[in-house]
Amino acid sequence: MSTKQIHDEEVLGKAYDARLMKRLLVYTKPYKWVVLLAVSMLVLNALFQTALAFITKTGIDDYILAGTADHFDILALKYLGIIFGLLIVTFFQIYSTMWLGQKVQDDIRMELFAHLQKLHLGYYDKNPVGRLLTRVTNDINTLNELFSSGVVNIIGDILMLGFFVSALLYVNWRLACITFISLPVLLVSTFFFRGKARDAYRVVRLKLARLNAYVQEHLTGMTIVQLFTKEKDTFDKFDSINKELRTGHFRSVLYYAVFYPAVEIIGAVSLGLLFYYGGKMIEVKTLSFGDLVLFIYLVERFFQPIRDLSEKYNVLQASMASSERIFNLLDSQPAIIDKEQTKTPEKFQGKIEFENVWFAYNDEQWVIKDLSFTVEPGEKVAIVGATGAGKTSLISLLYRFYPYQKGSIKIDGIEITDYPIAKLRSYLGLVLQDVYIFSGDYARNVRLRDDSISDDEIVSAIKRVGFDRFMKDVKSGLKTPVKERGATLSTGQKQLLSFARALAFNPDILILDEATSSVDTETEILIQNALLELLKDRTSIVIAHRLSTIEKADKILVMHHGELREIGTHESLLKEKGIYQTLYQLQYKRTSQTTASAK
Amino acid sequence: MSKKHTEKKQFETVLKYFKKYKRYLIGGLISVVLSNCLILIMPYISKLIFDALKNNEPSSVILNYVLLSVGAAVLSGLFRFFMRRTIIWMSRYIEYDLRNEIFGHLIQMSPSFYHQTRTGDLMARMTNDLEAVRQMVGPGVMYISDTILKLTISFAFMFYLSTSLTLYAIIPLVVLPLAVNKIGNMVHSRSMKVQEKFSELTSNAQENLAGIRVVKAYCQEENEVAHFSTLSKMYIKLNMSLAKLQGVFVPTMRLFASLSYLTVFYFGGLQVIKGNLSLGDIVAFFGYLSMILWPVIAIGWVTSLYQRGKASLERINKILHSNSPVADTETATYEQQMLGKIEFRNLSFAYNGSKVLKNINLTINPGQMVGLVGKTGSGKSTIAALLTKLFKVQTGQLFIDDVDINNWKLDSLRQQIGFATQEPFLFSDTVRENIRYGKADATEIEIQLASDIAALKKDIQTFQDGFDTVVGERGITLSGGQKQRTAIARAIIGKPSILILDDATSAVDTETEHQINEKITTVLNGRTSLIISHRVSSVKDADIILYLEDGAVAEQGTHEELIANNGYYAELYKSQLLEEELEQL
Repeated sequence: MSTKQIHDEEVLGKAYDARLMKRLLVYTKPYKWVVLLAVSMLVLNALFQTALAFITKTGIDDYILAGTADHFDILALKYLGIIFGLLIVTFFQIYSTMWLGQKVQDDIRMELFAHLQKLHLGYYDKNPVGRLLTRVTNDINTLNELFSSGVVNIIGDILMLGFFVSALLYVNWRLACITFISLPVLLVSTFFFRGKARDAYRVVRLKLARLNAYVQEHLTGMTIVQLFTKEKDTFDKFDSINKELRTGHFRSVLYYAVFYPAVEIIGAVSLGLLFYYGGKMIEVKTLSFGDLVLFIYLVERFFQPIRDLSEKYNVLQASMASSERIFNLLDSQPAIIDKEQTKTPEKFQGKIEFENVWFAYNDEQWVIKDLSFTVEPGEKVAIVGATGAGKTSLISLLYRFYPYQKGSIKIDGIEITDYPIAKLRSYLGLVLQDVYIFSGDYARNVRLRDDSISDDEIVSAIKRVGFDRFMKDVKSGLKTPVKERGATLSTGQKQLLSFARALAFNPDILILDEATSSVDTETEILIQNALLELLKDRTSIVIAHRLSTIEKADKILVMHHGELREIGTHESLLKEKGIYQTLYQLQYKRTSQTTASAK
Repeated sequence: MSKKHTEKKQFETVLKYFKKYKRYLIGGLISVVLSNCLILIMPYISKLIFDALKNNEPSSVILNYVLLSVGAAVLSGLFRFFMRRTIIWMSRYIEYDLRNEIFGHLIQMSPSFYHQTRTGDLMARMTNDLEAVRQMVGPGVMYISDTILKLTISFAFMFYLSTSLTLYAIIPLVVLPLAVNKIGNMVHSRSMKVQEKFSELTSNAQENLAGIRVVKAYCQEENEVAHFSTLSKMYIKLNMSLAKLQGVFVPTMRLFASLSYLTVFYFGGLQVIKGNLSLGDIVAFFGYLSMILWPVIAIGWVTSLYQRGKASLERINKILHSNSPVADTETATYEQQMLGKIEFRNLSFAYNGSKVLKNINLTINPGQMVGLVGKTGSGKSTIAALLTKLFKVQTGQLFIDDVDINNWKLDSLRQQIGFATQEPFLFSDTVRENIRYGKADATEIEIQLASDIAALKKDIQTFQDGFDTVVGERGITLSGGQKQRTAIARAIIGKPSILILDDATSAVDTETEHQINEKITTVLNGRTSLIISHRVSSVKDADIILYLEDGAVAEQGTHEELIANNGYYAELYKSQLLEEELEQL
């Protein structure tokens, strides 16, 4: 991973990008009625809150100070009605915005996940799983926040402020103007504080990240720290980073310590202004007592929407960064796709031809050089060679996991790129050297997610490879839980399970990369028998590590440094005294000894 | 009684810091008292203003009241500033001290501790749990004292103004903290479920991405999408049930507050009409209600702060109360210049119940070079770990310079042994600093020399920044062989009396390994060395070679003797010759 890429994860850009926002808003289109509902709830909310202020005013002027209790209870009931109305309105407002956020989140996540399935393996080689995972999880969650609390509530906060301001102007525009004197001060100080607090927070986050990285690194390398008796140095360094973090916190605390009282003081001053000028107006009867209370009531509520607005900045900023990363991923094109015109046979006969195939993962570092060979239908071919000979790459090419640069690969006389990818792969059966086991149960690992494979078919596959000996009862044993990566299974069991998987899918051509790891002799015999079952009546290509497999092959291809160096049967190749003979002595002789002694 | 005792013991971890920072604590509490006394006059002043207006008093009186209230607000604000500046400040100090205490303790713990505890858990102790404790000793202390004072003073004023109205107003407010607590707990349990579903979703995606080869080979893309979609929908559903609760929570809180206002408004209003109360009284009540609303809600909140903080503190204490088995005992006082004689006497060692070493007997004289070969898991590395006291000797004895290893002072022992491992751990620092790690005061010449011996110098010359190249996470990633050679340079720079290379050249090609070996031999010059390896080529020249099989010494002798013996060692030698031959083809 390059320095730049790691850095990308932390960069926070501007808070608003019209291009990104436009693309994001497209996702709300299917839910425009919900958006409308949320906005109308916000309008009602603002309306109701303003109404409460007016009821209080009326109560004071027309009843309490007029000295008449007639119908005062009706007014109180109105108040009660509105606060219950507020309960309902607020509920729907919160619920609908959250609903919107969740729906949009689900849509984007599914689009992203489906897109990931289409990308070819080369993309996965370049992008570590962890990073891709962050896109599907954290980045999407950030967007959820934007939709559930950001976009809609910004409108709400502005509406609320608008209502309050107009109400004050309506009741008494002179006093309203005096009240608004404090508004710019409040706005400026809030946004100034937000800016400062955000900076301080960023510093804290940076220091915290540094501290955590330091702790993580030294916990992992604690043995080295101790072996070199660096405990004191390590602690001193830790202490200094810890101290820096503390200083960062202090700065942040300071801003909050100043800000909260400052707001209270601003509030007290504007209240004082209200009392003083309002009082004067009351004296000359241009203002009623009720009006004054209404003013007090609304001024107290002014601050909330302003503070909310200033907080939305962070949400916006984070979601812009996340959406940029998500869109980048969505915009990366799958490198291997179906041609427009494809040929779809019922099944493969099994003839495989490689003609002068060249392949490199990057640029011109050839992993496979000018490879040519033919496999006839029904033939069993073994490929042998030392590590790095290009055996596994050969399989990847046949599967179209990667595009080959030169030459041609044909199955049944047709270039493999002319088949639909899904058909090509479903006629082939692959058993990988490094068996990947999913968490779930046995059945899940045999049928994967293909529900068209019945339990009976799974049972039959499991029996044919002999995995049933690890289960008390085969039928109920299908539900035996399996941990992630098959942590509870032995290497041999994992291999047998992957054999069962291949059998259940009943491929026309079987491709197998034998595992190198050694197993105990008993399991070894099990695996050998299962292999026989697997290869029966099928065209097969096996990257072989077992002598028994090689001996049964119709043809052996010896690969060395990306080239095909020798072809023949076990006996004929041994006589050649070439690479095969050395390989044989190094790798296969010993496995033959183990099996022989077992028999 | 005993429960109370243990509880008190749990809190000792933070109590000692309260004592240390008592100046901040006391100053903070005084600020809380003063600021509340000042701020809570304000609603009463507004009553006075209203009454004055009602009685048509001159505006100079009003002005006086206004100035008084602004003055009180400014002073109160000042004390609120001091309140945060002291109490929250103190909590950051405590956080800092406690973090140091934890790390300082972790640094003493031996590998067996780290094998039992996941790094992720330790990280969680130092981040989440520490923050929870800080919340308890900082904001927790601040809000609880603030709440108590605000409620007491406000109620005093309110009862003074009107007993009956106070009782009316309190009724809806009594329900509030209960509701906060009840719904708060429900929110907590539902969000736990959301978290669980989210991690299921995450691990599903993670498995899909990690196993993408299988997914693609078996054309399961569409089925995977369908399955992921069901999970995602379930996650959304749980989220919505949480949203429903939050949708109820916020407006309900507001409802109770509004109900309280309404009772004051209505019953108070009636009393004013009857002439029992003044409009000013009601305005003052409104003021007090808005002041106590947050403290009332905070009661439920502070309770959960305390509960979470306590649970976290217990987890932190678990670390602080665990001890390292290899820490120096009273008898571990030996700290002389090491000569390099090693003696194993009937040494056996078991790890997690399985025997790793069985009855090893061996004497290595100063200056000897010993080779250890054998399969993975045959116990080679355990010998190195025992020699450096990473593990404590269990059965039998281990002597260095005829002194029982348990009597060696840990620091002195380790300072005189150089150790390079197969998977070399380098720090994300420059190459120079990584080498200097083996000798803090190493000169430039020494660093050059060590890197030359480790055959690293040529590689470094190809780096743009040379010795200043940053290794690891944010810099150039070194190849496996380069890392190992850096680790070797780090191990030899301190000129140790005993040098242990634990498969330290496995990723280095044979030719370079040969160069390193030759140079090391000249440097060793009378020093003892222990070479652990899979490869015969690394140990060929050793004075004694041991072949370990299942924790016991299967063969012992020089290279020639062992080849003649035609056993395990000879077999290993042959297959390695073949491998080399194949490379040449």
